[in-house]
Amino acid sequence: MTQHAVDLAPPIALPAGVRRRLTSAELAGLAGLGAIALLPIPFGSFGFFVGQFALVYAILGLSVVVVTGYAGLVSLMTYSFAGIGAMVTGVAMASWGWPFWLALPLAAVATVPVSIIVGVTAVRLKGLYLAIATLTFADALGETFFKWSRATGGQTGWVVSRPKPFVSDVSYYVLLLAVALGLVWMVTGLRSSRMGRAMLAVRTNEREAQALGINVYKTKLTAFLISGMLGGIGGGFLALLLKQVTRSAFQSPLVEATSILLVTVVVVGGIDRALGAFLGAVALVVQQQVFQGARFFFAYFGIYSAGLLIVFLLYRPGGLMQVARLQWRLIRARPRVGITVAVAIVAINVGVAWLFVRLG
Amino acid sequence: MIAAHPVIEVTAFGLASGATFALLALGLVLIYRTTGTMNFSHWAIGLLAVVAYLLLANEGVPVVLAMLLALAISPIAGIAAYRFVFKKVPRANHVVTILITIGVAQLFASLAAMVLGFKTFTRLPPWLPQGRVSFAGARLNTTDVVTIALAVGVAVGFLAWFRFTRTGRALRAVAQNREAAMLAGIDDVRSATIAWGIGSALAALALLLVLPHVAGKQGGLITTFDITPFGTLLIPAFGAALVGGLVNLPMAVAGGFMFGLVRELLVLAPKPWSDLRSVVAALLILVLLVLRTERFFVTAQEREALEA
Repeated sequence: MTQHAVDLAPPIALPAGVRRRLTSAELAGLAGLGAIALLPIPFGSFGFFVGQFALVYAILGLSVVVVTGYAGLVSLMTYSFAGIGAMVTGVAMASWGWPFWLALPLAAVATVPVSIIVGVTAVRLKGLYLAIATLTFADALGETFFKWSRATGGQTGWVVSRPKPFVSDVSYYVLLLAVALGLVWMVTGLRSSRMGRAMLAVRTNEREAQALGINVYKTKLTAFLISGMLGGIGGGFLALLLKQVTRSAFQSPLVEATSILLVTVVVVGGIDRALGAFLGAVALVVQQQVFQGARFFFAYFGIYSAGLLIVFLLYRPGGLMQVARLQWRLIRARPRVGITVAVAIVAINVGVAWLFVRLG
Repeated sequence: MIAAHPVIEVTAFGLASGATFALLALGLVLIYRTTGTMNFSHWAIGLLAVVAYLLLANEGVPVVLAMLLALAISPIAGIAAYRFVFKKVPRANHVVTILITIGVAQLFASLAAMVLGFKTFTRLPPWLPQGRVSFAGARLNTTDVVTIALAVGVAVGFLAWFRFTRTGRALRAVAQNREAAMLAGIDDVRSATIAWGIGSALAALALLLVLPHVAGKQGGLITTFDITPFGTLLIPAFGAALVGGLVNLPMAVAGGFMFGLVRELLVLAPKPWSDLRSVVAALLILVLLVLRTERFFVTAQEREALEA
């Protein structure tokens, strides 16, 4: 019935061939992104290691953005999809001798059967049921696929090497940066596409979306499929980041914990914007990696990230993206106050991180 | 020595773990029906009571008294979560509500982990009498029998309270039609508080029945698997709740016992299946989702109330 769909108004209607000039807010955002991308340099090799981690989490976070941020479905198996991607990359490269660039698409496609089994049964119902189904399936996959030695390489897992020009940490960081920003751009594009707007409509009000002629079931299933594929791609890059993937990370209870962390990352960044996944990963994963040396890390980070999740959902549901927008508005309205606050926030964060790296 | 005995023993074992699922599911369904929140932090809220029980027992408090005192911790945590967090979220915002329950689960589980000091496992003293009773030639654990009896008693008592008392009727009215109930003078916030309190107490009882007795005579263990936001038993509890379409309380109890039986009887199944408990649970849950069980139990009006 999609041919009868009422086309929702496109965000900005411009005649073909007319190029829109960047607004000052967008220029400021781009400058901020550039600054974030250069952030690892003063921290040396540790900085690049943390940067790679943050970028892989940004890719995995995009998976949450599509399914939860756009389509309004809660998925608790994002990291299981990453595990499928990582293991398929591992088996293809280490066992069959495939090059990475062939293994990666296979990793994305390998998530499809699982997405279909879980999605077909659950997305027909309310969003809540997908949350239950994905939680159940993350557990069940840990007992089956991630115990299957031929797929997971047994206890030792798979040892994979990075493809030629991206062997060093710095070059792999640059590759991940390009891939992550490319995917952010694509997921941003998805938001204003016909399918993306259908997802937003379904999230806002299922019945009204249906009344507009949107196939709710197909829209939700597409969101879940795309989410699974992004998870698989992220998993492939995760495998190369770690150079060795072992299955225990994708079994209960670690897999649920990481899937929750991914949800937290995206909520902190801004759940309905692709750039939010990037921002959240930078903010939270950097903190996680930096504080990992500290004692009482687990409880500290668990309580801290849970607190962030709750507080952001209650008071800033748009995440850091919303905070940045509000901050930009403050800078425009009262430049002196706004810039002072922004500089203070950045200085406090960098200072605390620097202290921890030095002392821990 | 006779083939019938392992079946009886495993059945008793299954009903005992089913009792846990039944109590967990009862709390889940009560909170969901009354407030519209599917509580992914149910396990973590119950876990706080187990941690409190351990601390009290280590201080030398008699175990039964420690258990009764610890039971009060979970309702406090649950009501606090409702008053300070869930009350502020608009009821229609399902995604945010689910995400916040996950955050609360993580918060309480991390607190429990911090109190327990990050050990891979912590011993728990048992509070139920240890021993064996004979039944039809089979020898059963006393703890299993008491667990089943206690769970059935609590479930029946609760259902009777829910059906026949004024407060129980008020909670049902809120579930059926919140606005009409409010117009009739029922306090919405008070009903939700009661639901969160009783639901959390049921979670605490379920965990206090199972965790201190998992290792028989040696008492119980809390492992790192238990100190996770969703624990190890929340998934079967969701399955049990789905048997009643997430809304029907008696069917959720029945579903709990069903999941417990299936889980333990799998031990007797041929080899590949006996190791695949969570796969069988996942398949059962998928079947329940495909059946869309809620349509058997709710009136159209109540479904609207839950979905809007």
